[in-house]
Amino acid sequence: MPIIMTVDPRSGVPIYLQLIEQIKRSVALGIMAGGEQLPTVKQLALDLTINPNTVARAYRDLERDGVIETSPGRGSFVRGDGAAQTTAQNAGTDVARESFENAVREAKSLGLDRGVVRELFAASLDRWLPEGP
Amino acid sequence: MSTISISHLRKTYGQFVAVDDLSIEIPTGTVYGLLGPNGAGKTSTFKCMLGLANCGLGQIAYDGQPLAPATFERIAYVPERAVLYDHLTVAEHFEMTRRAFKKFDVKRATELVGQFGVDPRKRARALSKGMKTATMVAIAFAREPDFLILDEPTSGLDPVNQRSVLNLIINEATRGCTILFSSHQIGQVERAAERIAILQNGRLALEGAVDDLKADRKIVEGILPSEDYSVNGFAADRRIARVDKQGRILRLTVVHEPDEIANQLAATGAQGVRVVDLNLEDIFIGAVAPDTSNAVVVEGAN
Repeated sequence: MPIIMTVDPRSGVPIYLQLIEQIKRSVALGIMAGGEQLPTVKQLALDLTINPNTVARAYRDLERDGVIETSPGRGSFVRGDGAAQTTAQNAGTDVARESFENAVREAKSLGLDRGVVRELFAASLDRWLPEGP
Repeated sequence: MSTISISHLRKTYGQFVAVDDLSIEIPTGTVYGLLGPNGAGKTSTFKCMLGLANCGLGQIAYDGQPLAPATFERIAYVPERAVLYDHLTVAEHFEMTRRAFKKFDVKRATELVGQFGVDPRKRARALSKGMKTATMVAIAFAREPDFLILDEPTSGLDPVNQRSVLNLIINEATRGCTILFSSHQIGQVERAAERIAILQNGRLALEGAVDDLKADRKIVEGILPSEDYSVNGFAADRRIARVDKQGRILRLTVVHEPDEIANQLAATGAQGVRVVDLNLEDIFIGAVAPDTSNAVVVEGAN
């Protein structure tokens, strides 16, 4: 299945980081399965109209992180041994942790105490992740 | 290998210094963007690179060699203003180029102008500004050059054709062509270029990889514990290019390690500390605006 990606070059977030984030998300959600082939660097650069070395940089980092593997002459593939999914899910945990930390830091700087922060957290948890029946 | 290096280039016109001690290295297969306000020295740099103007001082090298007659076979240039003969058709321009350059591919050029909607039977005087640009682009890209020097290669083109030019640039880069291009449309440079240089008054104001510049340069802001809180520590910090303070609100223009600076600011007891991303346009304006060379404290009037 073709992967659908969008990048916002006008954002202050580096383009290669946007690509890494989207590919990890696709792998974590199972939109991209183990063994699946990624577009070539040239193809993705032309599809998104972005610099090819920027795509290559994202692929290199994904390979270093164990999400994809590249074999010369064949192309880049999502790792098929489950390692890619584990890595991508860990990356998801990292993203969530950073959001929590930012939220707590913001709450602290606004002068809220631990009790209020706990209440807010519990309310969000009930709303978005309620306990099953 | 096809690298371009410009070292200590200086170009003057009488008393006027157009380019002042400019040094840039462009590795093989790189798309390099040259940005700068009008009159910053972009076109003068291109002219020196092509031997169209005498460089007063400094060196230009292609693969480590100075410009020689044989180099022209490997360089294609799209000037800011299309250079076409009014009375000749587009196809006749192709024929002229074919006689001048061994590698020129007439079929490819015809295909490219077709993509831009230009009829090769038309005379140059009948072409719109955008069509003239498209013709120049087609001629340059059909020469399979090792070096492409493009001065505003999308001027006069509609958004669809602008995107086509960017994709042609990207395609050439994957072939190993080394490309230097200027554009006032920062969004295009942000997409296609891997590295950029910002010129101002002939000097290099900023140089680097676009993604690294975005990762390093941020605004860090927060609300200080009190209005008379000393910000001298931030003003002296080399990672901070600019300090703006208005009452209790502090706004730092950070050029390195923004997260560390945010933590330091939070440690002062400042409230609402946040890190704001900057896009290339913000970075460009920050680099060419006055007062950015040193950290300055701007005390707002109450």
